[in-house]
Amino acid sequence: MAGLALNGASLAEKLLARGPTSYAPWLDRRPHLDLIEQRALPELRAEAWRHTNIARWYETVLAGTERATRSRRVEFPGEVEVVDFADPRAAELLVLRGEEIFRLDAQPIAALNGMLLGSGVAIRVPAGTVPSPVRIVDLPAAYQRILVIVEPDARVELIEEPSSYTHRLVEAVVQPGGRLLHRRLQAASPDRECSLVAVRVQANAHYELSQLSLGGDLRRNDIVATLAGNAANVTLRGAWRLVESQHLDNQVAVHHDAPGGTSRQTFRGVADGRSRAVLNGRIEIAPGAQQSDATLNTKNLLASDTAEVYAKPELEIYANDVKCSHGATIGAIDEDAVHYFRTRGIDAPTARSLFVRGFLREAIDDVETARRLGVIQ
Amino acid sequence: MSLLRVEELHVEVDGKPILAGIDLEVDAGEVHAVMGPNGSGKSTFANVLAGRPGYDVVRGSMRVDGEDVTELAPEERSLRGLFLAFQYPIEIPGVSNMEFLKAAVDAHALGRGEDPPSAIDFVRHAREAASRLELNPDFLKRGVNDGFSGGEKKRNEILQMLILEPRLAVLDETDSGLDIDALQVVANGINAFRGDGNAVVLVTHYQRLLNYVVPDHVHVLADGRIVHSGDRSLALELEERGYGWLGA
Repeated sequence: MAGLALNGASLAEKLLARGPTSYAPWLDRRPHLDLIEQRALPELRAEAWRHTNIARWYETVLAGTERATRSRRVEFPGEVEVVDFADPRAAELLVLRGEEIFRLDAQPIAALNGMLLGSGVAIRVPAGTVPSPVRIVDLPAAYQRILVIVEPDARVELIEEPSSYTHRLVEAVVQPGGRLLHRRLQAASPDRECSLVAVRVQANAHYELSQLSLGGDLRRNDIVATLAGNAANVTLRGAWRLVESQHLDNQVAVHHDAPGGTSRQTFRGVADGRSRAVLNGRIEIAPGAQQSDATLNTKNLLASDTAEVYAKPELEIYANDVKCSHGATIGAIDEDAVHYFRTRGIDAPTARSLFVRGFLREAIDDVETARRLGVIQ
Repeated sequence: MSLLRVEELHVEVDGKPILAGIDLEVDAGEVHAVMGPNGSGKSTFANVLAGRPGYDVVRGSMRVDGEDVTELAPEERSLRGLFLAFQYPIEIPGVSNMEFLKAAVDAHALGRGEDPPSAIDFVRHAREAASRLELNPDFLKRGVNDGFSGGEKKRNEILQMLILEPRLAVLDETDSGLDIDALQVVANGINAFRGDGNAVVLVTHYQRLLNYVVPDHVHVLADGRIVHSGDRSLALELEERGYGWLGA
């Protein structure tokens, strides 16, 4: 395909000729189709896709590979309501979700999720309940949607087990006083995958993301968290470890739309081989979101001369009484630390691996899971 | 046979000669103090014994129990019983002291062809050593030297020494930055370690540590050479007269 890289417009044309999927026919696909018809899919040089060649993902979209043997595997306790997106009840839950959680024009490739949706679940955690975790093991299509409604004062843990998709959309509303701990586990993958996590956090509610990633052939995670109610709380943690020519692009945006919110972002990544890691972290504090307190901290280790890391914090602050800080570093393994370990009898490879583990651990709250996944050794 | 035998040691750092022919023999059961003014090569000597990269031995040799360790990697020297307490211990956030010590102890056990100690035995041993240095048990859970005060860092070095039980401990300016109480605690740790089967080389600018850890031999380093050796009285004389009278 040299010289003929697939762009947004030509992809749109080919997809429109095929038409949308028939899954979940109640779903209003007009906004998605409109965006695609208006040729608003990102083009190859789009700013948001500076570090990820979207044409490679478009190729996967166009190829339309589906795996035949997959099934829906979602584990959940009795008190949680879980329905398939094809079920008309999912339409009611979508209404309960309230207004749109993210702007489609700001996340245009989500339009492909709408158009091509093949599997999804809607999850409701009833008010005041504290059920055991909900686990998304697998969904049987390339375009997937997960809707989560955490009702007032409910508390739940949602776990996305490693699985493959072309695009996954996770939407969550955490209603007043609720708490959602969201674990995302991303295993090494030969596939090209994009996902969007969009969360709205209402008054006195907490959303906590713990994302552990190995690399993919192309892996892109967009994360948009909005502190929509007073004194909302958002904690985002991400740790990744890339090898060979793996690619991981994290685009994170935290919107403080209401007063008194607190957000904490901590990311740690290690890039080895010829891999490429990206973390764009954006904090936006709206006018009127006074007494917001926001921090973003990202540190990266380059473990080889040929790996690439791009780390960029961005702040947009429109309120005057806020606390906001950010920091981004990119460095190599501290050879003084390695020497220190070695003088205690620890060989160099073990020393480096201890050092890397310690480095990543600052962004990891569950060491056992991180070890099982292989993010740390 | 000497525990440590250094012969004609010449060392360059970045092509610049720092040590210009050091000879030193240390026997088991002895404590040697290596003193000298700033820039005399004391720290280089301590670091080159531990095999620091970038410190090039251009001539001469270092032997531990008769074995030439000059070309050995730092971890190989450690497994042969050499220990360096760093002047500036490195901070390693995210790796707990306990985890670090266990990795070191396991490496030493494997080096001796033994099974690593059980976690329970190890923790008990580490706690005992910590309490001897008046360190709170929580100290072991904290990141290696991460946010430690100067005194805590130095005590942590001595803690590692007590746990690893080296044949030869080289202490690089372990007394610097310690208040008098911490100095005593550290000195007690060193004295508890001293024994017939091991030896200590104290590298220091001042003689105050030597009030608590009494050396058998004192050497004065100047311009990369040992220019004077004597017994403890030499250290006291240096305290009184400075280094100038030695031509140092």
